[in-house]
Amino acid sequence: MPLASYQTSVPVVVDDVKCIADKGCTVCVDVCPLDVLRISDMTGKAYMAYDECWYCMPCEADCPTGAVTVNIPYLLK
Amino acid sequence: MSSPFESYDDLEDADERLQAADPGERRVAIIALGQSGDPAAVGYLKNMVSDPDAGVRQQVAMALGEFDGPESAAALAQLLVDPEPIVASAAADSMAEFKDPACADAILPLVTHGHAFVRMGALRALKELRRKDTLKPALEALQDADAAVRVQAIGVIGFLKLEESIPALTASTADPDAHVRRAAVSALAFSQMKPAADSITRALKDEDWMVREMAAETLGSNANGLVAADQLIAALSDAFWQVRLKAIRSLGKMKVDRAVRPIGGCITHEQANLRKESAAALGEIADSAAEPFLALVANDSDPEVRKNARWALQQITARKAKISS
Amino acid sequence: MAMDEIVGGSSEVSCDVLVIGGGTAGPMAALKAKLKNPKANVVLLEKANVKRSGAISMGMDGLNNAVIPGYATPEQYTKEITIANDGIVDQKAVYKYAQNCYGIIEELDSFGIRFLKNENGDYAVKKVHHIGTYVLPMPNGETVKKALYRQLRRARILISNRYMATRLLTSGDGRVAGAISINTRTAEMLVIKAKAVILCMGAAGRLGLPTSGYMFGTYENAANSGDGYAMAYHAGAALANLECFQINPLIKDYNGPACAYVAGPFGAFTANNEGNRFIECDYWSGQMMLEFYNELLSGKGPVFLQLKHLHDKTIEEIESTLHKVERPTRGRFQEGRGTNYRTESIEMHISEIGFCSGHSASGVFVDDFARTTVPGLYAAGDMASVPHNYMLGAFTNGSVAGTDAMEFADNHDFADFDAADVAKEYDRVMAPTRREDGIPPNQIEYKARRLVNDYLQPPKVTRKFELGQRRLAEVRQDMEQQMIARNAHELLRALETQSILDCADMAAHASLYREESRWGLYHLRTDFPDKDNENWFCHTLLSKKDGRMTSEKRAVQPYVVPVADDEKDLYDKQRIRASA
Repeated sequence: MPLASYQTSVPVVVDDVKCIADKGCTVCVDVCPLDVLRISDMTGKAYMAYDECWYCMPCEADCPTGAVTVNIPYLLK
Repeated sequence: MSSPFESYDDLEDADERLQAADPGERRVAIIALGQSGDPAAVGYLKNMVSDPDAGVRQQVAMALGEFDGPESAAALAQLLVDPEPIVASAAADSMAEFKDPACADAILPLVTHGHAFVRMGALRALKELRRKDTLKPALEALQDADAAVRVQAIGVIGFLKLEESIPALTASTADPDAHVRRAAVSALAFSQMKPAADSITRALKDEDWMVREMAAETLGSNANGLVAADQLIAALSDAFWQVRLKAIRSLGKMKVDRAVRPIGGCITHEQANLRKESAAALGEIADSAAEPFLALVANDSDPEVRKNARWALQQITARKAKISS
Repeated sequence: MAMDEIVGGSSEVSCDVLVIGGGTAGPMAALKAKLKNPKANVVLLEKANVKRSGAISMGMDGLNNAVIPGYATPEQYTKEITIANDGIVDQKAVYKYAQNCYGIIEELDSFGIRFLKNENGDYAVKKVHHIGTYVLPMPNGETVKKALYRQLRRARILISNRYMATRLLTSGDGRVAGAISINTRTAEMLVIKAKAVILCMGAAGRLGLPTSGYMFGTYENAANSGDGYAMAYHAGAALANLECFQINPLIKDYNGPACAYVAGPFGAFTANNEGNRFIECDYWSGQMMLEFYNELLSGKGPVFLQLKHLHDKTIEEIESTLHKVERPTRGRFQEGRGTNYRTESIEMHISEIGFCSGHSASGVFVDDFARTTVPGLYAAGDMASVPHNYMLGAFTNGSVAGTDAMEFADNHDFADFDAADVAKEYDRVMAPTRREDGIPPNQIEYKARRLVNDYLQPPKVTRKFELGQRRLAEVRQDMEQQMIARNAHELLRALETQSILDCADMAAHASLYREESRWGLYHLRTDFPDKDNENWFCHTLLSKKDGRMTSEKRAVQPYVVPVADDEKDLYDKQRIRASA
């Protein structure tokens, strides 16, 4: 069967102004238990690449600059 | 394929990375040092306490928390007096994790610092160190103008569990601040001497219900709690059910026979928690005079009340059997 | 290079003791193994990152089963767990835990993990259970993982993050020889030869589908997809009492604990729609879950955690813990809903099913030394069969496993394994990456878990289970023949899907084998509604024999702490009617 891609709103939001991933920081990407965060090749900032979030918060709690916010996924909020 | 294992070479280029022009890069280097697990990292971190960037200093304060010991404590002492609140607060949190008594040397001088936040942070950190020479400064801090500082001072004194501190703790049960009084009542629990029990007993009449609640609870675990039996019975008519609940629990724990009727009087209270504790306490005392009261809740709407009533009746039956045999 | 591009390839390392899973039990096992023989190599392998992995990634709000001198005795605790688990308990392991756990608390305290203390610096233990007093709150428990990681680094444990173990290696005579793992970002294979292996891979928490429909909105950390259960099974180890499912009372939709252990000591309780308690004790057991389930279905549901009768200041204190530790997004969730604990109760529901002996009793069978039935293979934590052992059990039994595994490694050389097994596993693992066209893992996983809900959720009906097995077999065929993975991350999910399906098969098989009802809701069979002590007062052991799933009985070992009949009745007679 052929594949289609579909849109989904993701719960983790990163403030690009505060994020220091472009300075070598990988804290949020490192600590995510589901491994859903990545650093963008285009912006150098962290973002949520996969909608597989346990809304557990280490990314937000451990971010050194307070750039990450974990929202409750839409389906259960 | 690169090594599959986490690196243990974090310190290798630390000097260079800590001097990066960009504060973000310095932060990243500090995070790595903090997580290295290598005690030699403290040597690098302590040189960063005067970094011009507050975010970097905050990171240093967090990283130093990973290394319990006097060298790290000395660096944190410098950060606790930092003018930026985010830095000082990170330093206070880190310090509070330390267990090595030698850390007290660097922290003690801050107990008399000009800022209340510093004094509070220092006292909070001293608690777990349990060093006898912290008693005197902590006793002096009981006179501090700031109530939050006085609360922490009580912790330092209470953790040391020294009978000589009873008069000071007793004085603090009359402190103008309710949080201080509550802490003081709790800190008196350890004492084997009657004056401590008397001080806790007086707190049953405190104007703040949380202090009264603490007093009622603490008497149940104090060596001389029984001297307060009558006052605990009187507390069963306290305006707050929370206070009554703890009084019931303590009377039950100490098996005060003459409390059966007054506790029985609480067994139909609208708060299910109170009915439950009444039934449980009557079971602990196990006096047959409680039977009519327990009968009142045999069909209670709350299963936990019923369960405790059943259990209490069993205890009474068992005690009767023991006496007759 | 594109994101998570598949690199592939394989390499090999060796160590004395390999610990798989860096959550709770794993770090403790690794530390103790290293302590036992500081010269030995200890590898800690983790699918996520040891810094924040496992059930306690954001810490824990309290110990539920602390046996602290002056508050409870090991005998009392052993009795209580025996009763809570309907008697099906090998007490030796429980008793050993109860004797050792206070020492572990002291050790954790020395690591800088913070427990609630009174103003005298003594542990502030609270009463929640029927008989003893076991709850030790951790209002500052968010630093647990940080403190563990610090110890691992200090001991210079070899930590390997982002490697998912897929299969164990065994020798011809059935001894463990190591494990095969795959990098979750590059799909490179890493073969780890080891003299002893400790599995600490957590619960099978991604088995049922949460009612929200969000696949990762599980009660357990969603990374805990039952990989340990599947690996132990394929290595020939026995798994105990898998029909004793894990089902928990949780905040509806949010699907995290409310949590009765935090709020309970302050006077909060579980109430029905009329504001009345309907269970005698908020301690989580199968019996309690059955009462919860019945109440939800009766006209007296929904069920709530009630706090509004408490004083403002008390609620403030509860909130400061609930919203900071274990599942800190709880506060954000309630805020989004506009739920204020002061005026409204928290709506509760029951979770999807899973395996977890941390809360119930379904796990890889272990003895009191954490040894599985495969020589050299150990298991600890949520996936090992010591019942109701929670976080402190994971630490304590992880410690037992680490010490004993190193002793085993000190006395044995590496076991040989067949190189063809590695090549075969490489092909199996990589198969989804070699298909051009097919079904992505998320669809296969969703369907499998939806079937678990439809057919395997209690009450268990034989006919439904048989249908469920047929449907799951169809999904398995799709998984084996059509699943595709287009990058390394998707391959991770594909491998997890295989674990999930293995666990679903085991859940069905084990449930059909035990022909009675036991453990309240956990194993409520409508065709066999009664407890049958004559035929089923035993463990059931599931294992792979000649490539097939089989189950057998195993006698409960003689009790070391006798339990009187009237004490057993405590649970059975919980639901005495008000009018009776």
